[in-house]
Amino acid sequence: MKQNITGKSLGLVSCLHCEQISQLPNDYHGEKVCCPRCQARLHSRIPNSLDKTTAFILTAALMYVPANIFPIMNIVYLGEAKSDTIIGGVLHLLEGGMWPMALIVFVASILVPVLKLIVMSILIISVHLKAHWRPAGRTHLFLITEFMGRWSMVDIFVLAILIALVQFGNLASVDAGLGAFSYAVVVIFTILAARSFDPRLIWDVIEEPQVGDHD
Amino acid sequence: MHEKKASIALENLRICHNCDLAQSIPTLAGRVVVRCRRCHSVIEKHQDNALERSFILAVTGLIFFIISNLYPLISIKKAGLTVDATLLSSSIELYRIDRPLLALLVLLTTIIVPLFSLMGIIYIFVIIKLKHYSNFTAPFFRFLRRNEIWGMLEVFLLALFVAGVKLADSADVILGISLYSFLALVLVLAWLSATIEPNKIWEATHPVKAEN
Ligand SMILES: [Zn+2]
Ligand SMILES: [Zn+2]
Repeated sequence: MKQNITGKSLGLVSCLHCEQISQLPNDYHGEKVCCPRCQARLHSRIPNSLDKTTAFILTAALMYVPANIFPIMNIVYLGEAKSDTIIGGVLHLLEGGMWPMALIVFVASILVPVLKLIVMSILIISVHLKAHWRPAGRTHLFLITEFMGRWSMVDIFVLAILIALVQFGNLASVDAGLGAFSYAVVVIFTILAARSFDPRLIWDVIEEPQVGDHD
Repeated sequence: MHEKKASIALENLRICHNCDLAQSIPTLAGRVVVRCRRCHSVIEKHQDNALERSFILAVTGLIFFIISNLYPLISIKKAGLTVDATLLSSSIELYRIDRPLLALLVLLTTIIVPLFSLMGIIYIFVIIKLKHYSNFTAPFFRFLRRNEIWGMLEVFLLALFVAGVKLADSADVILGISLYSFLALVLVLAWLSATIEPNKIWEATHPVKAEN
């Protein structure tokens, strides 16, 4: 027998907020149990984790289309109106010879959201399929994805700073475009998706054959 | 006899949040990070005087936060006009041009959440030192930890540089005095998040009691 004793098999749950370890009642069936230390609801696993994550990822994926088609900002410069999409912004930096900056913005605003959508989808599907494939690797993939997500907000902040700075009346001004709202939704929803995903689901299927039935 | 054994083990017992493996950890001293045996994610970190260090960093951060708000972060000059951007002005301008949701988003991520986190840590430290706990203390700290991720000052700093580069060929970009204190603030916040040990705070506000 391998000595992989999980909290679940012991009937113990570690509070996700304060790490207090508590005993779940023997006849626990999802009723309300609160952490004795921080009063958070205790759950052996995040309730409806996969459904919530899927809903957030699907919404984010849908919003990803308008976020990239519509301009994120509208610029009026010397009486001439221009607009910039997210990809357009990266290309302008590249044309200006600012390739290190273009690379950073490309990674943060294009690569990270796409990877986040792909990685979260793979994780959801792998849990649905009860995959045994490299659980530690998938857990790490999840932790990295969770950490990277926030950097995609950079485009929204650049927009906000340009709006605050470029105020020269008819000479030059910047306004938020249609894509800005969708883009913000993509970033926020992928962060929420990562937050609702419970990585312990990756490991549960690996326990199953060994645990069998417990009374 | 058996129950006593179980309660002793509980103090060094950790259940990994990422793979649910139950494991015991040694009693920690000095500066260590303990990783999960199975999935290798961090399950515990320890540093001597973590509480005091976190408090000092939070106070330092708060001072830098105030300075960063007093002076412009970045300014541009064009046709004899100078426009300054402060941390707050981007939210205000977004609101003024009638983009209230984006204004709120920027306000939350760059002002409200970071300020709340810093003041919250200072408040918790004072509560712990005065042993002035209430039923509100633990849920308050839980709320603070839960919402910290919405503070995105380091991302805003990157955005300042990107915006500066974007404007550089059509206007004169002047780096403001506050930019340096803002840079310091971001470093202090990174240091703080590496130093803070929520477990210490939880133990102080509500000592671990052996169940049963
Ligand atoms: Zn708790
Ligand atoms: Zn683990």
